[in-house]
Amino acid sequence: MIHAVRREARVFFAFAAMVPKLYLAYNAWVVVEFVVQILFMLVFVAFWRAVYANTTTLGGLDVGQTINYILLAQIVAPLVQSRLVSEFGGMIREGRIAIELLRPVDFQARYAVESLTSLVVFAVQKLPLVLIAGAFLGLRLPSDPAAWGAFALSLVLGSMVLFLTDWMFACLAFYSTETWGLGVVKIAVATFFGGALVPLQMMPAWLRSIALALPFSQGVAVPISFLAGVTPVSDLGALLIRQLLWLVGLGIASRLVFRQAVRKITVQGG
Amino acid sequence: MPVIRTEQLTKIFRVVRKEPGLRGSLKALVRPRFENIAAVNQVSFEIDAGEIVGYIGVNGAGKSTTIKMLTGILVPTSGSVQVLGRDPHRQRVANAREIGAVFGQRTQLWWDLPFIESLALVGRIYEVPPARYRQLLKDFEDTLGLSELLHIPIRNMSLGQKMRAELAATLIHEPRVVYLDEPTIGLDLLAKERIRDFIREQNRGRGTTVLLTTHDLGDIEQLCPRVIIIDAGRLIYDGPIATIKERFGRHREITFETSEATTAIELPRDCTRLAAEPHRLTLRFDRTRTTASQIAAAVMEQIEVLDFSLAEPDLASIVRQIYQGGLREVEGNPRS
Ligand SMILES: Nc1ncnc2c1ncn2[C@@H]1O[C@H](COP(=O)(O)OP(=O)(O)OP(=O)(O)O)[C@@H](O)[C@H]1O
Ligand SMILES: [Mg+2]
Repeated sequence: MIHAVRREARVFFAFAAMVPKLYLAYNAWVVVEFVVQILFMLVFVAFWRAVYANTTTLGGLDVGQTINYILLAQIVAPLVQSRLVSEFGGMIREGRIAIELLRPVDFQARYAVESLTSLVVFAVQKLPLVLIAGAFLGLRLPSDPAAWGAFALSLVLGSMVLFLTDWMFACLAFYSTETWGLGVVKIAVATFFGGALVPLQMMPAWLRSIALALPFSQGVAVPISFLAGVTPVSDLGALLIRQLLWLVGLGIASRLVFRQAVRKITVQGG
Repeated sequence: MPVIRTEQLTKIFRVVRKEPGLRGSLKALVRPRFENIAAVNQVSFEIDAGEIVGYIGVNGAGKSTTIKMLTGILVPTSGSVQVLGRDPHRQRVANAREIGAVFGQRTQLWWDLPFIESLALVGRIYEVPPARYRQLLKDFEDTLGLSELLHIPIRNMSLGQKMRAELAATLIHEPRVVYLDEPTIGLDLLAKERIRDFIREQNRGRGTTVLLTTHDLGDIEQLCPRVIIIDAGRLIYDGPIATIKERFGRHREITFETSEATTAIELPRDCTRLAAEPHRLTLRFDRTRTTASQIAAAVMEQIEVLDFSLAEPDLASIVRQIYQGGLREVEGNPRS
């Protein structure tokens, strides 16, 4: 048993080790992306300063907390945004899925490992952005290691919740290869209900309850609220349990969906 | 003992039939008309360990679809597949460990990585022990001429280089069964030769079972003692290549170059006209019923002949006949 696990781990490590290599192959875009992100952050900060011109708190958050939250959301949201939907769409349209299904590994576990690895790689890549946001845009990060720990833990679990959610969406590609629209809608929904544009606290009650009933906030709002000073570390236990429940539920559902979907596969061409 | 066994294997694709134009698109959207295509239709065969079998048929015959079912990528609509005693779809991962597949137009390697890194990764995914990996890499370097390719990313490789890289990656874990879907497509003669040598060597040296599809009958003649022919999804021949040649070997083709138009000529007995060019006449005849000299004499009586040539049928023309429905002449499949 232990031997089998270790063997699996070695295989997955091989996939994980690929991520930075592939990533570096495309590094020309890193600089462009960096500049665009700073511009976005400037716009968001100006926007929220203007909103707070006539008030001191909104949804229980003061201007400092909100700006902290929004800047962090800008940095973290792209980290947990998987590209599974377009990846599956392309893979099935071009027939590459055939090759991927031939690899002797669990299809989903392999993508999960790649997704976690990219989380780490991208997090490291975002460090300069964090420094700049801290020096020029008013980002205040906590010095309490517990807040960082809570953030890291809930980020990892949350990113897996989002991964599994995306997995279910991505499986629709097996039924229709027109995934472009699906991907766009999914990103819009995930960004909004994940709390990447507006803190959940500021949403009207009915909207917030929708957001909380959906999995998207688990990957963005939940972890960054620990760093932004919006959620106290003492809430960690309850939030982790909820994340674990999401993971178990989505884990089972996504495997069932995949098993069904893959039977539908029609490999194009060749 | 068979390593591959299919029984009444069938795959039916359901496709939306769309009329041309925007109206057609809208109609297909509102009330889709479905059409069933039997890409593979009740195909049964068995392949034993260590065989090299050629799987041939015209474009769209169902070759790739069969291979996709054998690899576990596609689920059969009905019938069954067993590879090394497993259902390849249900036990996809276990099956994948023991097989290798090359799809001529695709690559399993990473487009942007130098080949050696891609290959190393494949080695790790299949858990090839490092010492064994080095040994195989050395072997493959010799037969496939890999050393000049090691540091080139796949995206920069030529077609022939890519196929060599692909074959190395497919065989680096020493699979027991290998499916090669058009491994020589688009390659020059030298490259084809090299790849055939490699396949033969793997088969002889390691006992690898190979199922190969190709439109290049040179591949078949050099590699495959046995062929399976399918047409419109149905198996139409399964047996030794020698049998086909024998049965069809009765036929000869004789070609005359003439100074006058050949259109009005009256054909000699027991032969059929093949090509229809104004100054060329190609006739096919059964040598057990008539002879070349009889035919030549009959033609020369009617028309001035500048030159003529006699051809033994090559495999290509035999297969062309079979594809065109001449199979009745090879009735009595030894396997079925
Ligand atoms: N995904 C699919 N959806 C619908 N029809 C398909 C699909 N894949 C194949 N077909 C149809 O099934 C038939 C067999 O296709 P297949 O690719 O197996 O042929 P093939 O023998 O490999 O041909 P080729 O020599 O051109 O590669 C064709 O009529 C093809 O149009
Ligand atoms: Mg094909």
